[in-house]
Amino acid sequence: MKVEATEVDGRKVFSVRAFNHGIALWLERLPTVWVEGEVTELRRQDRWASVFFTLKDPEDGSCLAVQMSRGQFDGLRLGLADGERVHVYGRPELYEQRGDFRLRALTIERFGLGAHLASLERLKQKLAAEGLFAAERKRPLPRIPRLVGLVTGNDAAAKRDVLTAITTRFPPAHVLVAETYVQGPRAAPAIGAALSDLCGRGVDVIVLARGGGSFEDLLPFSDERLVRAVAACPVPVVSAVGHEQDTPLVDLAADVRASTPSVAGRIVVPDLAELRAWLDRAHTGLERNARRICDRHAERLVTNRERLARAPHLVFERRTNRLSGTHGRLQALSPRATLERGYAIVRAGEQLVREPPPAGTALAVEVAAGEFGARVE
Amino acid sequence: MTESSFDENQAELERIVERLERGDVELEELTRLWERGEELYRRCAAQLDAVRGKIEELARRVADDDQQ
Repeated sequence: MKVEATEVDGRKVFSVRAFNHGIALWLERLPTVWVEGEVTELRRQDRWASVFFTLKDPEDGSCLAVQMSRGQFDGLRLGLADGERVHVYGRPELYEQRGDFRLRALTIERFGLGAHLASLERLKQKLAAEGLFAAERKRPLPRIPRLVGLVTGNDAAAKRDVLTAITTRFPPAHVLVAETYVQGPRAAPAIGAALSDLCGRGVDVIVLARGGGSFEDLLPFSDERLVRAVAACPVPVVSAVGHEQDTPLVDLAADVRASTPSVAGRIVVPDLAELRAWLDRAHTGLERNARRICDRHAERLVTNRERLARAPHLVFERRTNRLSGTHGRLQALSPRATLERGYAIVRAGEQLVREPPPAGTALAVEVAAGEFGARVE
Repeated sequence: MTESSFDENQAELERIVERLERGDVELEELTRLWERGEELYRRCAAQLDAVRGKIEELARRVADDDQQ
């Protein structure tokens, strides 16, 4: 069949059939590729020739219809369930009759553990690079929460553990429980919805608890949308998911990571008995400390006063010492000091004698202790 | 003029004491500094007494409350 338009009132017009056919032909030229996504809405019936499902992008929920011949699908013996991550090898195709676009699958491979791990690691790196797990993003928990939100599976041991830990430690605690799916493809969106619902009800901290499970069971807790929802949650989130060795990505995005649901319960509330004891100590300490601070200031003031009273005398004394020192040095420079050492000053009349005078000259000799006359021989 | 705080007065007093103890003071300044130091001491002591009085008053009130 050729794709031909007819002329109507001077414009080219295609029939729907011709248009679809043209698009189908064009799509056929596209290459065969691998597409990764989550299987949802899997529809298979023995009387149908084909199996249908929707491949969903786990990141933003983009959808792609997939069709595969039932014979091929059954031959793979994958036993796929909704929510499983797969690689589909196929090519784009248009179902001309309905104008539906879809991927014609030639084969399907289940996303293996290795692929899961690699994909988780890529997601982890990406979110870490965005700073979603950064220590400075972590918020402190309220010291005494007004209302604790608990997101957990219905009838789960995790729920009981958290509630027991909370009420044992802090009996007056108020807890709002949001029961939700904690595994399977509906878990991540359901938990996200529970988080925002609890926030809307005024909780000031949220515990996200789930007991241990298989790697696949815990996968929703590494779902990108949920991890982002936890990081963006307006109140601090404590996560207790799986066992100590499991580290789903929500654990990294949460403000506090608890190793078990019981630990999470103990973390979110203070110990009432301890709190009472602290209050009593604070009360008795209040007056004692006030007095002590006052006393310490008074002691310091007294010391300062003593030092102040001594200081001017010290200054004065030091100045006096320096003065008498200077005086001593001044004295050392006068001729008197030289006479003390045994020297004499000889005068002839008013003149100091510096060279031998003629015989018979009368001299006056001054020594340290006095003066006497003499005559030159 | 606002009254200097106890801490400010105490700090100034300490600066004066330290200066005097180092001895690098003009003789003419010596008496002025000493007088200033004594004045600061009197202010500090008065401020301390005021606080102590309040503590005693509060302690009495708490004791009365406890008895009731």
